[in-house]
Amino acid sequence: MTSMADIALHALMPDILIALAAMGLLLFGVLSKRDHALACTVTAVIVFVVAARFILAAPAGAIFGGLFLTDDFTRYADMLVLLGCSGALILSVDFNRREAIGRFEFPVLVMFSALGMLVMVSAGNMMTLYLGLELQSLALYVVAAFARDDLRSTEAGLKYFILSALASGLLLYGISLVYGFSGTTDFAGLAHALASSARANDGALVGIVFVMVGLAFKLSAAPFHMWTPDVYEGAPTPVTSLFSTAPKMAAMALLLRLLMGPFAPLLSQWQMLIEIIAIASMLLGALGAIGQLNIKRLMAYSSISHMGYALIGLAAGTEAGVSATLVYMAIYTVMSLGVFGCIIAMRRGGKQVELISDLAGLDRRNRGLALAMAALMLALAGIPPLSGFWGKLYVFYAAVQSGLYGLAVIGVLTSVVAAFYYLRVIKVMYFDEAAPSFDHHSKAVGLMIAGCAALSALFVFVPGPVSQAASVAAHALLGAG
Amino acid sequence: MFTTLAVFAPLAGAFLTLLLRPFLSRNLAVGVSIIFIIISAFCGVVPAVRHLIIGAPDQTITLGSFISVGHFAANWALQQDALSLVMVAMVSVVSALIHIYSFGYMSHDRTMPRFFVYMSLFTFAMLMLVTADNLLQLFFGWEGVGLVSYLLIGYWYDKPAANAAAIKAFVVNRVGDLGFAIGIALIYLQFHSIQFDHIFAASGAMVDAKYTLFGTQFPVLEVIAVLLFIGAMGKSAQIFLHTWLADAMEGPTPISALIHAATMVAAGVFLVVRMSPLISLAPGAEDFITIIGSATALFAATVACVQTDIKRIIAYSTCSQLGYMFIAAGVGADPAAMFHLINHAFFKALLFLAAGSVIHALSEEQDIRKMGGLWRKLPVTYVVMWVGALALAAIPPFSGYYSKDVILEAAYAANSQAGMFGWACGNIAALLTAFYVSRLILMVFHGAPRAAPEIMEHAHESPAVMTGPLVVLALGALSSGFLLDRPFVGADMANFWGSAIAAGPHGSILLAIEQLPEWVAKLPLLMSLAGLGLGFLFYVTLPAIPVALAARFQSIYQFLLHKWYFDEVYDALLVRPSWRLAKFLWHVGDDQMIDGIPNGVAHLTSDASTQAIKMQTGSIAIYAFVMLIGLLALVSIFLLVR
Amino acid sequence: MIASIIFYIASGILLLSAAMVVTSRNPVHSVLFLILAFINAAVLFLLAGAEFLAMVLAIVYIGAVAVLFLFVVMMLDVNFAALREGYQRYAPVGALVGFVLFAELALVVMNFVIAPGAAVLRLSPAPGDVTNTVALGELIYTRYILLFQLSGMVLLVAMIGAIVLTHRDRKKSLRPDVARQQARQVADTLTMVRAEFGAGVKLVSPPATPQAEEISQ
Repeated sequence: MTSMADIALHALMPDILIALAAMGLLLFGVLSKRDHALACTVTAVIVFVVAARFILAAPAGAIFGGLFLTDDFTRYADMLVLLGCSGALILSVDFNRREAIGRFEFPVLVMFSALGMLVMVSAGNMMTLYLGLELQSLALYVVAAFARDDLRSTEAGLKYFILSALASGLLLYGISLVYGFSGTTDFAGLAHALASSARANDGALVGIVFVMVGLAFKLSAAPFHMWTPDVYEGAPTPVTSLFSTAPKMAAMALLLRLLMGPFAPLLSQWQMLIEIIAIASMLLGALGAIGQLNIKRLMAYSSISHMGYALIGLAAGTEAGVSATLVYMAIYTVMSLGVFGCIIAMRRGGKQVELISDLAGLDRRNRGLALAMAALMLALAGIPPLSGFWGKLYVFYAAVQSGLYGLAVIGVLTSVVAAFYYLRVIKVMYFDEAAPSFDHHSKAVGLMIAGCAALSALFVFVPGPVSQAASVAAHALLGAG
Repeated sequence: MFTTLAVFAPLAGAFLTLLLRPFLSRNLAVGVSIIFIIISAFCGVVPAVRHLIIGAPDQTITLGSFISVGHFAANWALQQDALSLVMVAMVSVVSALIHIYSFGYMSHDRTMPRFFVYMSLFTFAMLMLVTADNLLQLFFGWEGVGLVSYLLIGYWYDKPAANAAAIKAFVVNRVGDLGFAIGIALIYLQFHSIQFDHIFAASGAMVDAKYTLFGTQFPVLEVIAVLLFIGAMGKSAQIFLHTWLADAMEGPTPISALIHAATMVAAGVFLVVRMSPLISLAPGAEDFITIIGSATALFAATVACVQTDIKRIIAYSTCSQLGYMFIAAGVGADPAAMFHLINHAFFKALLFLAAGSVIHALSEEQDIRKMGGLWRKLPVTYVVMWVGALALAAIPPFSGYYSKDVILEAAYAANSQAGMFGWACGNIAALLTAFYVSRLILMVFHGAPRAAPEIMEHAHESPAVMTGPLVVLALGALSSGFLLDRPFVGADMANFWGSAIAAGPHGSILLAIEQLPEWVAKLPLLMSLAGLGLGFLFYVTLPAIPVALAARFQSIYQFLLHKWYFDEVYDALLVRPSWRLAKFLWHVGDDQMIDGIPNGVAHLTSDASTQAIKMQTGSIAIYAFVMLIGLLALVSIFLLVR
Repeated sequence: MIASIIFYIASGILLLSAAMVVTSRNPVHSVLFLILAFINAAVLFLLAGAEFLAMVLAIVYIGAVAVLFLFVVMMLDVNFAALREGYQRYAPVGALVGFVLFAELALVVMNFVIAPGAAVLRLSPAPGDVTNTVALGELIYTRYILLFQLSGMVLLVAMIGAIVLTHRDRKKSLRPDVARQQARQVADTLTMVRAEFGAGVKLVSPPATPQAEEISQ
């Protein structure tokens, strides 16, 4: 058993590290006289980097009797989760300081949330799934309301909390149905039970519909997206950037794990539902964003539509589809971080401004920022040769390969509609009467923007590592299922 | 080597002028293009003369691949047979002379370098056309000259009339070009090549091939030949497609001389002669060519008799002379057509430039009724104009005599109905030609001055830079006839043309003219002399006669003055219905359907967007409710569809 | 037999009181019904042989959570009538949705077959020789240590969250500074001026005190 314990320790190392570091920082923060928000944030990012290193080194396998899984798939998803969390933390430093909400609890909570997401990604049992989900959600409610003196922020936290509770309830109900009908919460056991008899699956399948709803809520896929615009708008911007990246990846990883794992043999039964969710998300995301004046709200709808695109890969139900979804999530994470970096740079007279009209004539005031924003917007719109285009290409290709022509066509049409509002932002930046210039943003934010914009713009030159890693991950997932 | 230089020097000149214009003075920039065109002329003449004297063998220089798709291949190439060499020499020399002339004529123009760039480009395109060894390169040159022609007719783009004329020329040429393009396509379909030598080698086997359309059978070669000729009709302003040529006189006069008299309009004739090995196998098409040519020769001559604009008279004369060339080509006397083409190039360029000199002297006055008595003021112009006029009227020893005589004799010798029609029309037209040309000269240079005194005061001979080219062209008009008679249509004919012009079944027609009765040979000259005499009678001896005639035969006079009402008929039959159709398509087709559908979709999208946003009320209860409905929908769909 | 009777009684009360939690007009009643529901749920656990769970439910949910609820409901001045305003309007639609969902789930339960191995998989009875609590403990601290620790994390985060969102720094609150109040002298704030009749008073600036500065600003 020592070897087993060794493996367990190795596999859990990153999670243990993050948990210990978070608690350590908590103690340090509480006990020290002054507030060390910056130091805590930097430590948190470093911890994430070290954890990433451990994750890459962790052996593949299932520990605690299948409660916790590690393989290439979890590695890929973990990397994106940590990328999203680190990005949000880096963006938060400057923002929180200027908004006077710079407190050490923020990085601590983000670390706990990251821990929850890592657990979600590695979940091999419904119970682990639920605990991971709750851990990350609970931390997210708090950070959403972190600007507690701001009415919008508290409202966002509350809304997210209540709706999330509802979604969790549905998820839990679904889990109990699955358990009731199959007698196990273990994914491997589920796969066994579901494969044994076709007729016996139905109860569990209804259960999985509920679970899908719970996860779709985290993904902010329509029609479970209702919280997204309000929470995106109300939450402090770094929190919004966190919302739009890491939890999405975690929830998507869980969906992939469940549907392509134990429920893979029943593809024909759930495929249609994923298609519906994908179509609804793409349509709603494209249509809802058109009339928006607030750029964070716009990004909320953008997020919804992008989740729709990512789900296309899942709907395809093939290894290529899973790989496409994973690539899409990576590309989306980078684009999203870049855009939120730009939004954080939108400060005028010491105040955050977030209307699209505030970007007017940015080209004449801050050429670099305008260029980065334009590149990111074009990437989000999926204009070749920017990264967003390749993501869409992969998922559409996977859909067409699986014969889902309708889905691909709707995807292309909605991205045409969506292109309208992305291009509108560019039009405002380049052709409108110039508004007063923004305050200086910190170097970290600038670097973040530049890095993400460059990655998005130059993805065409380096698609290899990402798509390769994604296909390895997809292979690991389907091989395990 | 020489030919390559001759072809590309104008292109280089055009580009250099364009590039250097910002750095050089106006005159220097223009000078660049003139120098290059002179190089081109020199290099153009040398191989032609060498061929004339030594008879070097034909060769083709391949410059590179133009298009190569599947079995379809076309090269950039410079063909060097007698036909091409003669054309290159003529085009480059005339172009060079007109470049020089324009340096004087356009000296007051604001954008003179642009003018020279166009002219050099034109020369390049025309040379590409005549040196093509395949139909595609020929078409490239064909459209190239068409484009520059459009640009130059509309050179004074602030004049509405010039713009309208440019558009008209372009559109009318499209009609012909469509025929030409279909012809090329059919040739490729039949011969699987657009290379001249391949086509000609294979055309013998195609004589019996037929197309079936609407239950009727059409011989393939006839169809192709007619289509190619329709292209030629557009370019060479033959009747039905001639309406653009007179309007094209809105362009600067050197352009009228270069493009719309000497070179481009002759491209149609060149095409027919170039394709003669194929066309000679299509007797029906040949008759068609002869009849159209004859009709044009006569029609244009009648119109020229009553026009009052000096340039339009010469323009209709051009039309008429091109008709002669087609008569020759139609009856199989292609060398005669080429002979007349070369002669015509010289004397017609001469006439236009001389007319330009007159217009220049009279401060842009073009109406011959407001001229008169200018011969003392413009002695050089006067003399060279006479040379050109006599050449046009076919009076020996001027060049026109040699070629026109041969053409009419060949038409008679063809011994066919079409040939006889051509012969009759040609003779009548010869009379009219002599008449209108004498009318032109007498009204412009003799009699009492009818221009305003202050204009007469200013009237002066043109500078040497203009009169120089005139004198050179006059020498050409004087001598080209008897110099080229022997190699072109005389004893050395077969040797000179080599394989460039097919002998065909009518190949011997030019040899047959020796056996014609004496009166047939003499008739054209008599007609011309009669025409000249008539001109003297009307405009020197008894000037009352034309006035009385015009009054007596008012309807005929009006008919001629309005150019047989071609423009009016076209306007009513084609232009107006097209406008109406276009308006209909614009309002209904474009505004309501093509724009309507996307606009409708856009409205739909924005409406849907409004609805989507309306759902976002901010109420948690509603949000939760929507989630539950979503869940319900998913579960229901799952249970129903599963 | 007795167990069955108790089961049905407890289940019936549980369902009824759950319905009352939702429908009661008085929130205090709601909480009390909630407690009743918890008690009956604990009874059901007892019947199933899970005495540890039954006790935990009673202690934690009734003793801590429900009582806290009661405090909150009583302390907060929430206009529950206003909260219920839309009730009448949405009730029919809500009822419809609820009914359809219920019908569908009923279909699921009635029509669908439970996996053949499920009963066996689910039945993992506590080892006979130890008590329920011991058995649970042996599992929780070995096999399910991960889940146990994660639950701990969840609770920790909940605690941090509560503190972060509500805790106010003392320095910024409006407490009286007793020492300063005690140290204040009359001369610090009061200046006596003698007013000439008809001439009025020329104001002199009062001696600089923190309060005065604040006021003048």
